[in-house]
Amino acid sequence: MIGQLIIEGLAIGACYGLFGVAVAIIYKTSEVVNFGQGEMGMISTFIAYHILIQYQFPFWLAFIITMIFAILLGMFIEFFLLRPAKDPTVLGLIIITLGAEMMLMSLVGWKWGAEQKDFAFPLSVRDTHEILPGLKLNEWTMGVFILTALIMVLLYLFFRYSNLGVAMRATQQNQNAAKIMGIKVERVFSFTWAMSSVIGAVAAMFFAARSVLDPTYMMEPFMRAFAAAVLGGLTSIPGVVLGGISLGLIENFFGYAWPHWKPIVAFVVIILVLTLKPSGLFAKHYVKKV
Amino acid sequence: MKKICYSIVLMVALILVVPLTCSAAEKGFDDKEIRIGQFGPQTGPAAPWGSVARGAGLLFDLVNEEGGIHGRKIKYYLRDDQYNPALAQAAVKEVVERYGIFAFTGGVSGAGGQAVKKFISDNKILWVVPGTSSLNTVDDRVDGKPDPYRFCSYPRFQDEASVLTKYAVEELGYKKIAILYQNDVFGKVGLEGMTQRLVSYKMKCVLEIPVEPTEKDLASQMLRLKNSGAEAVLMWVSPTLCVIALKTSESIDFKPQWIANSGLSDLALMHHITGGLYEGVITGAFVPPPDSQDPLMVKYREAAKRLAPEERWSSFYIAGIQFAEPLVEALRRVGPNLSTEAVMKELNSFRNWKGLGAPITWTENCHQGTDSVQIQKCGPGGTYILLKDWTENDLATWKNY
Repeated sequence: MIGQLIIEGLAIGACYGLFGVAVAIIYKTSEVVNFGQGEMGMISTFIAYHILIQYQFPFWLAFIITMIFAILLGMFIEFFLLRPAKDPTVLGLIIITLGAEMMLMSLVGWKWGAEQKDFAFPLSVRDTHEILPGLKLNEWTMGVFILTALIMVLLYLFFRYSNLGVAMRATQQNQNAAKIMGIKVERVFSFTWAMSSVIGAVAAMFFAARSVLDPTYMMEPFMRAFAAAVLGGLTSIPGVVLGGISLGLIENFFGYAWPHWKPIVAFVVIILVLTLKPSGLFAKHYVKKV
Repeated sequence: MKKICYSIVLMVALILVVPLTCSAAEKGFDDKEIRIGQFGPQTGPAAPWGSVARGAGLLFDLVNEEGGIHGRKIKYYLRDDQYNPALAQAAVKEVVERYGIFAFTGGVSGAGGQAVKKFISDNKILWVVPGTSSLNTVDDRVDGKPDPYRFCSYPRFQDEASVLTKYAVEELGYKKIAILYQNDVFGKVGLEGMTQRLVSYKMKCVLEIPVEPTEKDLASQMLRLKNSGAEAVLMWVSPTLCVIALKTSESIDFKPQWIANSGLSDLALMHHITGGLYEGVITGAFVPPPDSQDPLMVKYREAAKRLAPEERWSSFYIAGIQFAEPLVEALRRVGPNLSTEAVMKELNSFRNWKGLGAPITWTENCHQGTDSVQIQKCGPGGTYILLKDWTENDLATWKNY
C-alpha cells in the first residue's frame, strides 16, 4: 500500500511540477505570475478535443495541431494583451493575465458549453501494469514520468546551450543590460509565452485525462502547480518539479492518514517553508542592492 | 413659484401612480396570462443543470399549445443566475418588480435559493417546486410551520441516503459499507442519512472519507477505501469528483459496488464522461428513467421532439417538467377565479397526487411532498435499468408533522 501511495504521489506531483514549470518560465523572464496559465492549457485541450471529436483525426495529429495553437495563443496574449500596456508595473501585468483568464473561460463556455466532457487521451489511467506484486503503474503515470523527465532535460539543454535560452536568462537578470547587449527583449518575451503555453497545454491534457473536460477544470491544478512552484522556488525549474513532487507526496501521505487534512496540509507546509526560506526550497536567494 | 408647484404636482402624481403600477404587477396574472418565473444557471460552472429551467419551459409551451389554463396563457420568465446567489437575488427582484410574478418554479441553486427565499415569501409569491433539496421545508420550519408559499417535492438527501443504504444492506446483502462524501452541507446530509440507517441495523460505516468539492486527485482516498475492505461505497459528490473517483479506483484495481446520489442520475451523461466506467453504478433518482413508457413521459417526450428538438432528453430536463407539474395542476383545479390563496388551498389538498415523479402529499402543516426515490442502475451504453420503484424512507420522522 505504501509503494502504491508513493507512485500515486510521485505521479500527480510530477504533473503539478510539469504545469508549474509553465508558470515558472514566464516568471523567470518577466517576474509576472500568469494567472491565465490554467485557462490557456484548458482552451488548448478543448482544441484537441474538438479536433478529435469533430474531425476524427488521429491523436498524434490533433496533438501537433494543438501545440501549434498553443504557440500562437501564447504569442497572441503576450503581443496583444501584455505588450500594449503602457509603463506596466508587474502588478498591472498580473491583472491583465487575470483578465485573459476570464476571457478564455468565457470563450470556451460559449463555444463548447459547460457540460463535462470525456477527453480521449491515449495514455489512460485504466490501463495498468503490475510492476511488483500488488504495485500497479498505469500508462498515464508512465507518460507523466517520461514526459516530465524529457522536458526537464530539454529545458536544461535549452537554457544552458542555446543562444535564445541564454538570452532568456539574461533578460530575467537585467532587461536593460540585455537590451544594451543587443537582445531583442520583446521577442524573448514572445518566445517565453509560447514555450510556457506549450508546456502548460501538455500538462493540461494530462489533467483532463484524469478528470473531465469543462471550462473550470484547470482552476484547482493551477493553484496546486503554483503552490508547488512557490515551494520549490519560482526561479528554479528543477526546483519547481521537485516542489511538485514534494507536494504530491505530502498530500498523498496525509490524505491517506488524515483525509480531512489533505486539502490544507500542503499549504501549511508551504507557509512554513516560505517563512524559513522565502525563495523556496531549491532556488537561490538573490538580494537586490539599491 | 409656478415651476415649484408643477414639480410638486408631478411628484405627487408619480407617488400615486407608481404604487398602483407595482401592485398591478405584483398580482402576477391578468385575464390573458399568468406570469411564472425561474432563476438558474444557464452559463457558468453549473450550466449543465440549466436544462432543469428549460424543461419547465417545455411544459409551459405545451400547456399554451393546448390552449392555456382557463383561457390564460403562461408567460415564462427565465433568468440566468450563473449559479451566483447575488445574481439570483437580482434576477428574482427584477422579474418580480418589473413584471409581477405569480409563482416561481425550480431554481436549482441551493445557495441562490437561500438568498431569495425570504424575498419570495415576503412578497407572497408561490414557489412550486424548488429545484434543490436544500430548500426543503422540513429542516426550515418557522414556529413549527413550513413556509406557506413554498411547496417542495425534491426528496431530502438524508432520506435518499437512508433508502439507498437500506437497499444495499437488505437487498444486496452488503455488510461493509463506506461513504465518499463532499465536505459541504450536501455531502454531510448524505452521511447523516446513511448513518441513521446503519445505526438502525446496529452497523457501522467502515470508512467515512470527506473530499473537497474542487479536489482533482483522489488517489490516497481511494487507496484508503480499498484498504478498508468496503464492499459498497456511497458517493455523495459532484459529477467531476465521481469521474475522478471511478478512474482512480479502476487504476488501483478497487472495484466495489458504487452507489451514487440522485445528482449523478443522468446516466447517459455519466456513462459518457466516465468513459464507460459508470456501467453497473447504482443511483438514487427522483425522476423516472427518460425512456420510461409511462403515458405522461411518452407525452412529454413527444412534445420535446416537436417543441425543443435541440434539447437532450435527459433526467435533469425532465426534472424541470416534474418540478412545474404540480403548479400547473393546481392552476387547473382552481378554475377561472384565480388568486394566490386559491392556488395555495388546492396545493394543500394534494393527496398522493401523481405526476411524473413520486406521489405528492401536501398539507398546511407539511410541505415536503415526498421522500421517495427510485433506485436505478446504469446499464451498457448508459441505459437505465430500474431496480426499485418509488421507495419511502420508513425512518423519516418528519412525516408525523
